[in-house]
Amino acid sequence: MKTLNYWQAISEAFAEEMERDETVFIIGENVQESPFMITKGLVERFGPERVMDAPLSELANAGATVGAACAGYRPICDLTFADFIYCAADEVLLKAAQQYFAHNGQVNAPCVFVGVAGGGFGTGPEHSHVPSAMILNNPGLKLVLPSTPYDAKGLMKAAIRDNNPVCYFFHKKLMGLTGEIPEEEYVIPLGQADIKRKGSDVTVVATLYMVHHALTAAEKLKDEISVEVIDPRSLEPLDMDTILESVKKTNRVVIVDEDTERCGVAAELGQQIMEQAFDYLDAPVRRVCSRNMPVAGAAMEKYTIPNADQVISAIRSMVE
Amino acid sequence: MPELTKDQKLALYRGLVRARKYDELNVRMASEGKLLTFYHSAQGHEAIGVGACSVLRKDDYVYMHIRGHGVPYAIGKGIDPKNCVAEHLGKATGWGGGITGVHMVDKENGVLGVGGTIGSCFVLSAGYALAAKKRGKGQVCVCFTGDGGMQRGQAHEAMNMAASWKLPVVWVVENNLMAWFTPFCDTSAVKDIAQVAKAYDMPGVIVDGMDVFAVREAVEKAVKRARKGEGPSLIECKTYRFRSHSEGRPDACHNKLRPQEEIEKWKERDPVKLCRERLLEEGVLTVELMDGIEREYAVEMEEAEKFALESPYPDPSRLPEIVYAP
Repeated sequence: MKTLNYWQAISEAFAEEMERDETVFIIGENVQESPFMITKGLVERFGPERVMDAPLSELANAGATVGAACAGYRPICDLTFADFIYCAADEVLLKAAQQYFAHNGQVNAPCVFVGVAGGGFGTGPEHSHVPSAMILNNPGLKLVLPSTPYDAKGLMKAAIRDNNPVCYFFHKKLMGLTGEIPEEEYVIPLGQADIKRKGSDVTVVATLYMVHHALTAAEKLKDEISVEVIDPRSLEPLDMDTILESVKKTNRVVIVDEDTERCGVAAELGQQIMEQAFDYLDAPVRRVCSRNMPVAGAAMEKYTIPNADQVISAIRSMVE
Repeated sequence: MPELTKDQKLALYRGLVRARKYDELNVRMASEGKLLTFYHSAQGHEAIGVGACSVLRKDDYVYMHIRGHGVPYAIGKGIDPKNCVAEHLGKATGWGGGITGVHMVDKENGVLGVGGTIGSCFVLSAGYALAAKKRGKGQVCVCFTGDGGMQRGQAHEAMNMAASWKLPVVWVVENNLMAWFTPFCDTSAVKDIAQVAKAYDMPGVIVDGMDVFAVREAVEKAVKRARKGEGPSLIECKTYRFRSHSEGRPDACHNKLRPQEEIEKWKERDPVKLCRERLLEEGVLTVELMDGIEREYAVEMEEAEKFALESPYPDPSRLPEIVYAP
């Protein structure tokens, strides 16, 4: 085992896949001098033809990504901030997502759209959102949300090898998180949830940085409530079986999601749980999400995104 | 450019007649309520697709324009129009398996599907060209769009990228003076789209889009340049739409029908007619040969219609299987 931090894990996945498959290349804004480190050192190793500094144009970068993918390559498009995916909506949501369907399964777009997501640095609207629900609302796209260095690497390798367009959002607050990574190669298949902590009283489902709020909450509550924390790791494909098994054991579930509450991921998961495990529920499904407003910046940010105390309150309210 | 051979000239004429017959078939079927989707007639535009695609290799990429739903371009690449008819009838034998009715694909012939949003062609074409450049086998991509497409941000962002990276792409803009029902001059400060090329330091030329020979020559030059690694070019083809934006909609602008005199004036330069007159004059075409070609494609379209009508619909149970690739 070796210890890597979150961004190093992503970078290592890029390097290994670029080494393994010459059709993999990275295109994006400042990828040779990555502001979020994930492509650090790659240009020295693979050259500017495979680590391509592109114009400040999400449309062109995402469009070129989809086109090159249709024409036989496996590009990784770094959108920088996940929020910027909105700038490339036509290319990601219509072209990448629908390519395979619209063309009767004859043309697919194997590519990865990468972006840093979430709050924590007061960067305000347009730089702090986790746009998960928007991706899930466009079938044809896959969605990966890693919460640890180990997951970040294994899931990125699976995303690059996938024959579909995959949105992979990593989190600002996790960049320096360290974790153990096997020396040998490993790939984490998409659609396999991970039980981050075992418990028997309440199930908490969370992704990205919210996993860590859930783990903090579980630790603080350990003497009164036994909390099971499940990280689906990818929301499409989604490992609903693991979530349902946990709900059937604990009979209570809190969903923590950094995306907006309204029409969000938590609403979708809650509904699926209600449809598939209603008889096992001892209490209504609770949500802890970002509030129904844009993510505020600076000092106001903390009033718009979830925190560990809210998760603790939600868990407590389930067993009272 | 060397003089075209008699066979090359005849092939261009054949392409024009075939595209026109195909278009007429679709117009008729639309009026009969047989099409399960919309249809955007290419009548007046045929010289552009036919001329441009006549210089391409089988492994070159073509991003097709909405006019004629790609057929004037695709026949030059070697596709069979009967699969296109079948697609519009929503049949499993269609180019796209009858799944979307209009989104055609023929990978063998470099047609990697088409887009529904105007302008998106630019950035995806940049991607095809990027792949072509990386592959290093001299492939090019020819991207067709209309004057309306030029007004999307994608056009400019893709041109900047392609020109910076010397991508092997040729942008062919069919300026028919109308975007849907809005005259080009209402929404563009410039009269000539080709001048946009200057902003990206690439060649920009204006071509008579009714003249299949002129289109062919300009595209051939741009394609050669692209194959040599010298980057993109912009070709503006001045053309005219003989019918409405889409079948069944009044051919109007400013809430009035387009003046019939204007349409008739442009029809004097109908691309099929222009080519026919030239070839008759040069003795390449005879009246007998001309009639033979007419009959040949009339029969082909009759057979295509029959083929499409008799083909089965796709099995709806396939739909979930094609959302994600295995």
